Amino acid sequence: MSNIYLELTEQFNRGRLRAIISSGQAVVLHRLAIMSKDGDWVLREDRQTMERVLGVLAGFGARYRFGAPLDTRWFAGGWSAHFEFRRSGLRVRTDFVTRPPRIDAAMLDRLWRETDPRQPVVDVAALAEIKKTNREKDYAVIGELARLMRDPRDQLLYSRSARDLIDLAQSRKLSGLVSELALKRPLLNEIASGRARLEEALDAERRALIRANEQRLALYRDAAQPWAAAWPEVERKIADRPLLQAHEIVVARALELLPFAP
Amino acid sequence: MDRPRDEFFSEEDLDLRNLSEDELIAYWNLWLEQAQITNDLDQNTYSHGVFETTPAAALDLL
Repeated sequence: MSNIYLELTEQFNRGRLRAIISSGQAVVLHRLAIMSKDGDWVLREDRQTMERVLGVLAGFGARYRFGAPLDTRWFAGGWSAHFEFRRSGLRVRTDFVTRPPRIDAAMLDRLWRETDPRQPVVDVAALAEIKKTNREKDYAVIGELARLMRDPRDQLLYSRSARDLIDLAQSRKLSGLVSELALKRPLLNEIASGRARLEEALDAERRALIRANEQRLALYRDAAQPWAAAWPEVERKIADRPLLQAHEIVVARALELLPFAP
Repeated sequence: MDRPRDEFFSEEDLDLRNLSEDELIAYWNLWLEQAQITNDLDQNTYSHGVFETTPAAALDLL
């Protein structure tokens, strides 16, 4: 028995690990919840990976949605590329980045080094960072992901439960670690103030993360305005073309209108 | 009596942990099929990446 996202991942990764399942479908594979229709992958930022992924998508008859070209030059600036096709009655959407938000170079390097090619799914800590979006529901995901984490350091950095944080700090005698990690996550200083105060701090932290992500997305939205204005014309030009030809047209026009970095 | 704990997901969601691999995939595929009912509603939205919706200027309204 298979699933379209597993099938795509297997094809992307044939012969070499090139694509790691992220976001919503990673939440499924960590067995927390099914809450997204679309597939999302972190890709290796190299030309061979781009060619492989485009080739697989072409085989499925995918078409570009509005977004950046599937090209390392835009991916290096944090852009995302988006495609859609139909398969057995499903509308399948595939979304790609090479620089997932809030994942620094060291964490990204570790992700590629440590991901098991037989189970190409982002690990729980990376997934928790990726899920710091501007959607409320993603903070519930982070809360459950933290309960899957084994390392108390990760649990302290990602837990969204005041009760869990207090229990963790008390039962494991982690005051030294709490003080150390509070430099990175200031709300840990509130553990000693009790549950009510800690819950307020968790709410405030969530709102701050939501605002930060809104600001990040606004940069891309603003930088994409000329590209958005040209997209109807681009879409008409690529409408009846195979994906690889369409890709050449998208890249050529994006070079004129979409900056590599916002 | 068990102490209450902060809940993020329903018991039904968390029951994914008790499914076999084949059961998980079957349930996942069924969920995806059923979710197609909202395709018209989310036609211009994005779940991931740097866009939330297709910008109005990018919609071909001709």
